[in-house]
Amino acid sequence: MNKNPLNHQLETAVKLRHCWCSEKPLPCSSRNSASMESLNTFTNPLNPPSPRRIPLKPFQIHHHHPKSTQRNLSSPISCKLKSSQKDTTKSSTKLISQKILLSENMPPPLAEEEDGVEAEKPLENDKNGAMGMWLKRLPRRVLSVLSNLPLAIGEMATVAALMALGTIIDQGEAPDFYFQRYPEDNPALGFFTWRWVLTLGFDHMYSSPIFLGTLVLLGTSLMACTYTTQIPLVKVARRWNFLQSSEAIRKQEFSERLSRASVQDLGIILMGSGYEVFLKGPSLYAFKGLAGRFAPIGVHLAMLLIMAGGTLSATGSFKGSVTVPQGLNFVIGDVLGPTGFLSNPSEEFNTEVHVNRFYMDYYDSGEVSQFHTDLSLFDLGGKEVMRKTISVNDPLRYGGFTIYQTDWSFSALQVLKDSEGPFNLPMAPLQINGDKKLFGTFLPVSDTDASSVKGISMLARDLQSIVLYDQDGKFAGVRRPNSKLPIDIGGTKIVIVDAIGSTGLNLKTDPGVPIVYAGFGALMLTTCISYLSHTQVWALQDGTAVVVGGKTNRAKGEFPEEMNRLLNRVPEIVGQSASEHSEDRGG
Amino acid sequence: MIFSTLEHILTHISFSIISIVITIFLISLSVDEIVGLYDSSEKGMIATFFCITGLLVTRWIYSGHFPLSDLYESLIFLSWSFSVIHMVPYFKKHKNYLSTITAPSTIFTQGFATSGLLTEMHQSEIVVPALQSQWLMMHVSMMILGYAALLCGSLLSVALLVITLRKAIRVFSKKNNFLNESFSFVEIQYMNERSNVLLTTSFCSSRNYYRAQLIQQLDQWSYRIISLGFLFLTIGILSGAVWANEAWGSYWNWDPKETWAFITWTLFAIYLHTRTNKNWESLNCAIVASIGFLIIWICYFGVNLLGIGLHSYGSFNLH
Repeated sequence: MNKNPLNHQLETAVKLRHCWCSEKPLPCSSRNSASMESLNTFTNPLNPPSPRRIPLKPFQIHHHHPKSTQRNLSSPISCKLKSSQKDTTKSSTKLISQKILLSENMPPPLAEEEDGVEAEKPLENDKNGAMGMWLKRLPRRVLSVLSNLPLAIGEMATVAALMALGTIIDQGEAPDFYFQRYPEDNPALGFFTWRWVLTLGFDHMYSSPIFLGTLVLLGTSLMACTYTTQIPLVKVARRWNFLQSSEAIRKQEFSERLSRASVQDLGIILMGSGYEVFLKGPSLYAFKGLAGRFAPIGVHLAMLLIMAGGTLSATGSFKGSVTVPQGLNFVIGDVLGPTGFLSNPSEEFNTEVHVNRFYMDYYDSGEVSQFHTDLSLFDLGGKEVMRKTISVNDPLRYGGFTIYQTDWSFSALQVLKDSEGPFNLPMAPLQINGDKKLFGTFLPVSDTDASSVKGISMLARDLQSIVLYDQDGKFAGVRRPNSKLPIDIGGTKIVIVDAIGSTGLNLKTDPGVPIVYAGFGALMLTTCISYLSHTQVWALQDGTAVVVGGKTNRAKGEFPEEMNRLLNRVPEIVGQSASEHSEDRGG
Repeated sequence: MIFSTLEHILTHISFSIISIVITIFLISLSVDEIVGLYDSSEKGMIATFFCITGLLVTRWIYSGHFPLSDLYESLIFLSWSFSVIHMVPYFKKHKNYLSTITAPSTIFTQGFATSGLLTEMHQSEIVVPALQSQWLMMHVSMMILGYAALLCGSLLSVALLVITLRKAIRVFSKKNNFLNESFSFVEIQYMNERSNVLLTTSFCSSRNYYRAQLIQQLDQWSYRIISLGFLFLTIGILSGAVWANEAWGSYWNWDPKETWAFITWTLFAIYLHTRTNKNWESLNCAIVASIGFLIIWICYFGVNLLGIGLHSYGSFNLH
């Protein structure tokens, strides 16, 4: 389709929007000023130029509603705009309309379409029977109940209160814990015993029926509210309405009267400030920030998306964790467990993971700075499909699952005793306060059949250095595994050969993550946009004066100052001829 | 060595300037002809802003990581955000009353951070592996900025509540003159800033008019700044969730800190929704926002006091 470039510019000059036409406004948006000029050259041959300034000369244009091509033949041409200033012949109208229509590839409706058409055709037909009426009304009634704002606020407050309760009551403990914490003979707050906790499911609050039920209710309220309240609001906000009387304009939040000004100047100044301006004869309507009206819908939709993604995550993912000593391997399918009924294992679960090497980086002070694991993945045939070194905050992704480095442990200590060995002594974790780790092992030196075995103890905080203690428990020395330095303890020569660590890995596959991420991105974006304020300005040329009124929905505090700044830039008309003030346009 | 001395100096300078500024504010409340004092307090706040920025930058260079890894640094960042918020309307040339909220907030947080309560935390510490990520900058800074903005907004709502309810209290008891007079200072300051000439109409009605205007202004300012804070909080929570997914494999763990951040978010969502209803405006919204003040402190400080969960980096013990 070879689009007439002029019409393409026309389209960009006049943003496609729905026109609720009993009025026929004349758009003079400045989005594409080049198109304005070309439009003028187009209309000039047909209509002799008027003495007024060129860019704001009224011209004719047709609107096309993009979606309604199927619905109604007449609705594609929803407005036919007539110049209110001049007499135009029917032939010129037809000429323009046909030129636009044909290149738009629309079915050629009659250009004589006069009446404004509503967008929504009344689709409901009368159904037979009272039962049908009641059934039809039921969804509507349910909808109206659900989209009640105080109900929604109550639900949000309930969710917040339940979450707070979930942080106060310890989650996931054995029932015995709750018997002791909330005993029946001394109930907290006078009535709160363990029966409340266990029957209402407060010990697993975030998956309990009450919490999930409230969330589901909130979700349905979201959907109902979006459908019933916000979408019609969008339609109302997009309507262009002109105020025809100065009294109506003066009733606005902000109103001002400029003597000796013209509405066109005001239009230009508003356009320069980023408003979209529409002029119809003596009256003007301008708005800015319409996206701020749409964005709350986007916020609600993003929240629904997040909820859906979260539900999918909770019911359809696999997760598992494993601690693997260096040098060993495991099969992915063995360690992953399903979380819900939608979990479906995939072919990649047969992959085998081999831990090549586990090592840690340290600060100068001796603290751990990072841990790394060198992994190789092998498929069923034994071929290596992937090799990567992972660390915390840098996971491995393959075939839909992800391997995260989350923890580490000490597997074994390789020692030489009196030049025999090497022996692998397994290290056990020892309990100390705080979240530092301590591992220890024991090498017996005396007769192992005796009742009390004496031996050498070795303790380690990390893989760097091992502390050795002799048979009486006295400190003997510190050795680093790579130094190969022997130590003599009570006649036994010990050489620490190697410290074998084991890596703690978390594995996960989560089909809901892309949906949730999309929801996150949408939520961030729409919350940003909904910060914009939707400003509307009306003006009316009243003799030589202009009456201006405006309102805005969010930034009410700064609005009067901003309007005053704009109005200060409108030039005052001194003298008779209109051509004089074409020089002092703008600020 | 030089960096730590520099840091030390900057800390003390910022604290002293803030104290001077707040003193000037208090003086100008009662003696309101000294205009020069107001200007110097503005300049004092700008100087504070630069001092705290210098402090943060010094700490960043000195320790090698972004200065947001424990409670002390996050407190300094909070007072920095307060000073930023204080300066934004100043650049937009709006004379406003936000300054009476942000300046004391800055001093309180900065004072608490530099006080003897937390001296053992002043040393910059090393960063554990889990915090070594680019996400740290975005997530924590957005959260702190969000907290600062929401705190300002909820304090403005508290002020609104006080002024509105004081009218109701006065109707009931005419005897409580002290309370009346102490709060009338704010109104007198407001009136003097709005009009230099006291109207010839009766004093009482003009006072009511200005009080109504003050309430409306407070309402709108708190709405705007809470929306901004809500935006930052949303971005902060979501970036935290994405970071958690990258680091540990799950984007929401019902960690106490995460849960309380979500509760804060929900509460301010309730605030924004109550504003859509025209009948409820100003009073109910202000009550909701005032509850928000408490909830933010529980979220930011209260959870850290317990020291549990994945966010245990910010824990400290009060001796």
